[in-house]
Amino acid sequence: MWEHNLNSLNPGEFANLLKYREDKIAAAAGKGKREERQINKLSKSLHPKRQELRVAEVIEHGENCKSYILVPDAERGTAGCAYFSAGQYLSVFVDIDGNIHSRPYSIVSSPKESLSGKYQITVKAEENGLVSSYIIDHWREGTAVEVSDPMGTFTYEPLRDASHIIGIAGGSGITPFMSLGKAIADGDEDCSLTLFYGSRTCRHILFKAELDKLQARCPRIRVIHVLSDEHVDGYLYGYISAHLIRACVQETPYSVFVCGPRPMVSFMDEEIEKLGLERKYIRHELHGELLHPTEEGDYPQNVPETVKITVLCRGVTTDIFGSSADSILRTLEKSGIRAPSRCRSGECGFCRTRLVSGTVYIPKSMDMRRKADNRYGYIHPCCTYPLSALVVEIAADNEFHERKE
Amino acid sequence: MDDRYDVIVVGAGNAGLSAAAATSKGGLKTLLLERNILPGGCATSFCRGRFEFEASLHELANVGTKEQNGSIRRLFDSLGADVGWCTEQTAFRVLADGHGGYDATMPSGMEAFCDEMERQVPGCRDSVVTVFKLAEEMNAAIAYLSSGKADPNVLMNEHADFMRMASHSVDECLEALQMPAKAQNILKTYWPYIGAKTSELDFAHYALLLERYIRTFPAMPEMRSHELSLALEKAIRDSGGDIWYNCEVTELLFDGETICGVAAGERKWYAGHIVLNCFPSTAYSQLMEASKVPEKAAKIDSARRPGSLFFTVNLGLNRSCDELGIGDYSVFLFDSPDAGQQYDTLFDTERSFIIANCLNKVVPNASPKGTCMLFLTTMLTEEAWGEVKPEEYKRVKNRIAKRMIETYERRLGASVSPYIEEIVIAAPPTFARYLNTPDGTPYGYQIQPWDTMISRIMNARNEGFIDGLYFVGAHAERSDGYSSTYANGRSVGERIVREVQKNVGA
Repeated sequence: MWEHNLNSLNPGEFANLLKYREDKIAAAAGKGKREERQINKLSKSLHPKRQELRVAEVIEHGENCKSYILVPDAERGTAGCAYFSAGQYLSVFVDIDGNIHSRPYSIVSSPKESLSGKYQITVKAEENGLVSSYIIDHWREGTAVEVSDPMGTFTYEPLRDASHIIGIAGGSGITPFMSLGKAIADGDEDCSLTLFYGSRTCRHILFKAELDKLQARCPRIRVIHVLSDEHVDGYLYGYISAHLIRACVQETPYSVFVCGPRPMVSFMDEEIEKLGLERKYIRHELHGELLHPTEEGDYPQNVPETVKITVLCRGVTTDIFGSSADSILRTLEKSGIRAPSRCRSGECGFCRTRLVSGTVYIPKSMDMRRKADNRYGYIHPCCTYPLSALVVEIAADNEFHERKE
Repeated sequence: MDDRYDVIVVGAGNAGLSAAAATSKGGLKTLLLERNILPGGCATSFCRGRFEFEASLHELANVGTKEQNGSIRRLFDSLGADVGWCTEQTAFRVLADGHGGYDATMPSGMEAFCDEMERQVPGCRDSVVTVFKLAEEMNAAIAYLSSGKADPNVLMNEHADFMRMASHSVDECLEALQMPAKAQNILKTYWPYIGAKTSELDFAHYALLLERYIRTFPAMPEMRSHELSLALEKAIRDSGGDIWYNCEVTELLFDGETICGVAAGERKWYAGHIVLNCFPSTAYSQLMEASKVPEKAAKIDSARRPGSLFFTVNLGLNRSCDELGIGDYSVFLFDSPDAGQQYDTLFDTERSFIIANCLNKVVPNASPKGTCMLFLTTMLTEEAWGEVKPEEYKRVKNRIAKRMIETYERRLGASVSPYIEEIVIAAPPTFARYLNTPDGTPYGYQIQPWDTMISRIMNARNEGFIDGLYFVGAHAERSDGYSSTYANGRSVGERIVREVQKNVGA
């Protein structure tokens, strides 16, 4: 017969608990400065709230395209560049006439170079590109630049991806692959890269010399240039296609990484489908902002051209007006309201905002919201377009910024 | 612009949210400030590709069913917070390797649990039933202590067993209950939910936790724990509270010796009651001048250390759980049946135990058809993590994650590696980034024999050193866990409401 023996334990010991506590506390060190803990330090070094940099060098790449070497600006409080994974981007904050705009730019330099305090980004002036044109026209040696911590998931993940990456780059979409190639050559990423790089003509190839050097330096890297507008000996002619990939790469498995302008990516998606890959082997870089929402098939009719957006932020209400073809984020920025943002592609959720009232259009391909956010009326303004007058509640961009009243 | 509030809550973690919900529901003008861009702290989710991953929740205790509701379901109901609960029929499966190892799948619900224990270890039923009976008695004792009373005579006459359990370890008490060794081991499976060694953890705390998980069915919210955070957020707004994100409080404001408000950079807000959902050590070192920190508060803080650290691997798999042969929601993988040896693995990143959760087993539509999500968790000490340089970080994370995935595959006989469509690894620095706790611990201060949950509850009132300043969260008296932190925040919120009403009445 089972019988417990709990009574063998002395309940009187309970009375000692309080004394035990008092003794421990009395014996402890009191006030005094304590070192920041290692893990918190590492966390902050990987993810600083902001990085204050300055332009150390400008590299011209022919018309309308320049690279900028960015270094930490100790005077403004940044001692080093945060380390990153090849393929990540920096969100760059640009002040144009007092209005702050953000844009994500892939880091071109290697992770190793960040350790010695250097990032490189490359900017190509887009047609009607407000921010890219501004940067090209105004940034010079010494310009102060504010950027985010490195972000993004367009990175090689050894537990997920095949160890052979097929990179497909169009135009300035080459940038994240430059960093990946360097990281492979440095031994910081353990994979190989076959890079299909589509350019219009020879003259449009970015980083031609650097790519040649990388190939020569590292046998795991192979670059295949494909020109669409020009026949040149030694270069392939046409568009990157499933057929071309199959002809150049026989060994499987491989992971396909795609980065380029929207039309090129849409074209590539159809080609990649022909390769019959599982979805896990296909990765896309951020889509970037959708500039012409009205061209989407499911965009509704009879939308007013101009809409009023009432913005609530920390108890302050501001009415602004914007074009219904601009994302809510764009209208906020153009109106001088600095809202949090990073990827501008619907993915990162950094601009997450509460839609208090009104109707909006969110392209299906860009709706990456959490399920509960959807249910409770949260939107990502970077990929959300007003269809009526709106009331939104935004978070201020940082704790020190308050909109001038 | 109005900068006066009755209550300011700093931090929208579980306890901050439930505190703000209680004060705003209680009619107090409440401001909730959060440094992140969304609420929840640990209780959140993130999207990758076609998956929305859970950040931390394994199972929420005290939910129960509509008919037999638990305190957490009642808490959300009472706030008008609507949550799609998916209840768990199985409490856990535990696989312990080594000499005397076992594979036990334990159902939820007291009767079923006791029956299965008896089937696993014939002859143990009475001792297991006794554990649950004792846990029920403890609720009365804790209610008595929480009221601020601790008359030794009352305790001795009415709560002698409680006194035994609160001053003896899990190991000592189960031994005294004459429970067979294997039954003891199975019963100790939940120790990672507290992260303390069962030879040091008091049985009162553990028995309560066990009872909470087994008696009423645990559950998961349909839309990850982010749904819980948003349900509470809405409850706060609905009763007139303000919530501002991306708003990191940088300073506590004092009027002489009296706390009177908070500042975020240049902006200041004022209130007579400030609730901090952050570690006391954070407040003392970052939010106030050293001279304002009471000597004893500083001493308690330095006597304590952060609780266990988390390392999680979220996998989005491109096959369904049936196709992969994943049959359980929650599996504990230990390499020894002995809880002490299980605890010791926290010091070794090559061996640390694993909890594996497949959310689709509880929330079938949690990910698209033909896919499932697998969530692997291990815990580590700061020593085990060691000093990692930024450039080593990715490699270290991948090494530990790989070991966890391979261990899971080997122990469960399931292949998952080829099906990984998305992977997100969260290491202690990841938690530190979002939680801003020491070493990124989600578990508050480590429970130690001198600093047990019971001794924290008994001292809660005389260790509130600054009038009008309250700390809530996993570091507070009820220790870690979703249901503990929700309950902790709510009780502090309700206490403030009572105090304000009392003052108005006077």
